[in-house]
Amino acid sequence: MASTIIETAGLTRSYGDICALKPLELSVPEGEWLSVMGHSGSGKSTLLNLVGGLDRPTAGVLKVGGEDLLGRDEDGLARFRREFVGIIFQQHHLVPYLTALENVMLAQYFHSVPDEAEARFALERVGLGHRLKNRPGELSGGEQQRVCIARAIINSPKLLLGDEPTGNLDHKSTTMVLELLRELRAEERFTIIMVTHNQEVAAWGDRTIYLDDGVLVREERKTG
Amino acid sequence: MNRLLRVLWGILSSRALPPLVLGFFLLLYIGIAFFFDETLIMLMAITRRIPLLAALLALLPLNGVCRMILEAGRYLKRRQALSGAVVPPELYDETLLLSAPGGFSQLEGRLSAQGYATRGSGHHLAAWQGVTLFPARLLYLAGMFCLFAGILISLVSRGVSRQAVVEGAPFPTAAGNGGMVEKIIFEKAAGPILARNLFIKVADSGMGEGEQTFRLYPPALFRGAFVYPRYLGISLAYRFFAPDQGGVVENRAVLPLYPPGKEASTVIAGTPYRLTLSLAKPEDGSDPYMTGKTLFLFKLLKGDELVLTGSVPGGGEFVRDGYRLAIPDARRMVITDFVVDYGVLLIWGAGLLFAAAFILWLPVRIFFPLREMLFRSQGELLQACSRAEGGGRRHAGVFHEALDLLELSKSGVKAEE
Amino acid sequence: MQLVFKLIPQLIAWTVMVLLLLRGMPGRRGAVLISAVTGFSLGVAGYLLLSRLFPVTLPLGIIRSAVGGSFFLLWSVAVAALYRSTVRDFPLLRVERLVGTIYCAWGAPLLTGMVAGGIGASGLPRLDNSVLQLLAPLLLLLAGALLVLGARSAEQRLTSSLGVTPSAFLAALVALLLFSSSSSILLDLFAPLSMKVMKGTHDFVHQFMESILIPDHVFIRSAIWGYIGFLFGKEVGFWGGMVIWFTPALLIALAIRLEPLPSVAHIRQGAQRRRLLADAIRTKQYRLVIPALALVALAAAAYQSSFPNVEYWDPKPLAVTATPAGEIFIPRKGEVELEDGRLHKYLYKQGGKEVRFFVLLTPAGKLTVDLDACAICKPDGYGQSEGMVLCYYCKTLIPLDTVGKPGGCNPVPVPFTERGDGVHLDALTLVNSWSRTVQSTTSSKGGK
Repeated sequence: MASTIIETAGLTRSYGDICALKPLELSVPEGEWLSVMGHSGSGKSTLLNLVGGLDRPTAGVLKVGGEDLLGRDEDGLARFRREFVGIIFQQHHLVPYLTALENVMLAQYFHSVPDEAEARFALERVGLGHRLKNRPGELSGGEQQRVCIARAIINSPKLLLGDEPTGNLDHKSTTMVLELLRELRAEERFTIIMVTHNQEVAAWGDRTIYLDDGVLVREERKTG
Repeated sequence: MNRLLRVLWGILSSRALPPLVLGFFLLLYIGIAFFFDETLIMLMAITRRIPLLAALLALLPLNGVCRMILEAGRYLKRRQALSGAVVPPELYDETLLLSAPGGFSQLEGRLSAQGYATRGSGHHLAAWQGVTLFPARLLYLAGMFCLFAGILISLVSRGVSRQAVVEGAPFPTAAGNGGMVEKIIFEKAAGPILARNLFIKVADSGMGEGEQTFRLYPPALFRGAFVYPRYLGISLAYRFFAPDQGGVVENRAVLPLYPPGKEASTVIAGTPYRLTLSLAKPEDGSDPYMTGKTLFLFKLLKGDELVLTGSVPGGGEFVRDGYRLAIPDARRMVITDFVVDYGVLLIWGAGLLFAAAFILWLPVRIFFPLREMLFRSQGELLQACSRAEGGGRRHAGVFHEALDLLELSKSGVKAEE
Repeated sequence: MQLVFKLIPQLIAWTVMVLLLLRGMPGRRGAVLISAVTGFSLGVAGYLLLSRLFPVTLPLGIIRSAVGGSFFLLWSVAVAALYRSTVRDFPLLRVERLVGTIYCAWGAPLLTGMVAGGIGASGLPRLDNSVLQLLAPLLLLLAGALLVLGARSAEQRLTSSLGVTPSAFLAALVALLLFSSSSSILLDLFAPLSMKVMKGTHDFVHQFMESILIPDHVFIRSAIWGYIGFLFGKEVGFWGGMVIWFTPALLIALAIRLEPLPSVAHIRQGAQRRRLLADAIRTKQYRLVIPALALVALAAAAYQSSFPNVEYWDPKPLAVTATPAGEIFIPRKGEVELEDGRLHKYLYKQGGKEVRFFVLLTPAGKLTVDLDACAICKPDGYGQSEGMVLCYYCKTLIPLDTVGKPGGCNPVPVPFTERGDGVHLDALTLVNSWSRTVQSTTSSKGGK
């Protein structure tokens, strides 16, 4: 039985009087692909930010990889983000004047030290071996997002977070990106938590949870 | 016995040996410096006299040879490994054993694409780029050998005989059978290093040597000795008469009077007088040694008392207060060392070898240092080795990636070609 | 107050030394602290005792030898460290293992403390008041002990990443000892080192050129000889000294820089490999901090040596003239009191030549006339301190008893006649003696 990678109890996040996430109980087993759905303002991104160590909860318990994230100071949290988490956003956030290869190497640099051969290999794995020297502006949306995937997985995270990663892509590119994520998950055995509006995209996950006004209202598990 | 030989070889070929021996001599130098002013000369003399110290010094050239043999052996083994021979793991920076995958064709293609030359068969793959630093290293070690062998030979065998070579006199030899020194030519030179040149022309001695010309540099050999001109001077004949002395004194003196203005003195034999001479600087700026037109400034002393001063041209006479001083003959003279020392050749050779090693090393080290990796199947296992001369993080990355690829190919995953 | 100012550099150096000792031998704090305090106390007491029982040159000589010896040790360790980093089959130095042992934890702080204590005690002034005379060493001991505690608490606040290799540890300790000792001109080692280097270089270059048959300067282009001539000049002592002074710490830094990174080829996850490499690189960078500290301390020591903050009895030379017969006369009592035991300098000018000389009454009660120059060094002259004169160039101390005797760095004695009215000397002899001395110690050309 897979061990639990994320465990929350009474996880809450308030911004002043507004409670973005109401006490949430959630458990994610290692290696699972969890889709998070909900309307705008339902608390999806807040949950993602908390789990990814980008934000701190107001109350509750948040254990990632068996460790209480609240116990970490800022440096510890930064180390956690560096070594444990990979994030893919809807906007690619690639550095426009660096090549695809350099963008991936930049992530290596912030993690530890750059290694060109490894970065090249990662881009080849996402099907961009022929686009190493191209800058983001010279790549299609799907290619840019694949660079983001290479960048997100280069430091071997245990947790891959996606915030609408296919939101800006056409159907074909969306499928290509999601297939790629599925393949890589099979090889690298990381856990995916993906926030999306799109039911079709959510269906790629093993399980989907629905948030509404900061409350977990429903949960669906893929059958078969 | 074998063990003893191995230990001996280990010591003689150790890289720790040169710093230890040199450190010992440095300490000895410092120790001597506490007691003697001429420290280096004393150290050289002690080393020459005590065989144990000379033997210790001899360890340095010996170490150079042993290192050359050892490193050449390692180089050859690495060359053979490139062709698929057994790989000695200790010769590489990183060596590891993996469980064996299939062939190396995918890997070979990738490494070629990254600028590596490859050579492989079904069970082995070698990839490399750049040029080895080994030839430069070998030259350096040969230089070390020549330098210390030269110093050792020079220390224990050097013989120097200092002679005055005088124009119009026989070339000085132990047997007295040197040819006549026909001319000593001192002239301005246009070379990048020498400002003046010196030629000593010697007539046939009748010993089958023919006419000879000895130059300044490189020093010529004469009957096994280097002819090494040290100082210039004048050989002169003088005639002296003092009113308080009985008669005229005639004598010759060999005096190091060059450059003009430099003083040298000679005691006038049989009298209480001493003559201090120097060459006057000609007003036209010419060099009296080159032109041969000499004017001598002199001081005549009796004990510590200065009797008179004046000047007398070569071939002329000075007369005052009853004193007479004539210099009827003044010839060019070179104080010359005859140095029997073949260690010098080795030391010069060392200089050339070091220069060649550096010229070879610098561009290779900067632009094309050798990086190599080897993969070799051994039954169920795969041996992988990597080495980068002068370090190389990028190469290490490529090597690690190659290993990752082999691992992935084992599990059936393929990267895009 | 003056005492406090004078000892500040030594006390700062002592604090940093203890801090280093604590960092260099983690897990043995107690032993380090106790032996450091013990060593410092022994050093202070030992110096005071020896300086009472024997001439002060004895304890000073012991301290100089100890610091000099530690510098030699540092050189050997630096060379060994460089070899170890660059040569894979270089045998591990057994000595290095000593660093972690209990012997080292007791021995190193004890020895360091003894030398540091001795240096501190040598800086204590001689006071007329007997109460203060007793109080000053006690205050020094108290300060030494308190600073050990201060160093302990400072060390605990330092980041744990600040690691130190055994060689860097030694480099910093020795550099601090050199810094500490260079604050006293009597213990300074840089100046004598420069002097020895100058002499050694002259000897070596001369011998080398002669050995490999390079022609004399007469034949060589003056521009080329200009470069070679540097090796025969006075400045070579300073620059050569600088090279010898800084090289061991630089070698140790280089050794750390060249240490091979750990092999990570067996790890099949790139991120993990890079993490290990990054950690190793960061550890190396932190390890460079201590050699850098050593370099700063060495630079400070060389600076203190070059610009010593001490005052010597060094009167302005009085101009004297010779009689038509060439005799210089200096009256016993006149403008100066010749027999007051102090150095009296004179200046005699003849033609374009200037000669400096001095007259001094030695402790044996005899007058001596000497050139203000020695036969070895550049004629920078002498200053007088308690019981000795000091050569400004090489900082050699010459006891007053031996002034008037020739040899080494002693002032060159000048023949003179002592009469009832004063001292008479021959101007020509004086000029000749000066010319000979200065010619042989300032010729920068020729060499041979």
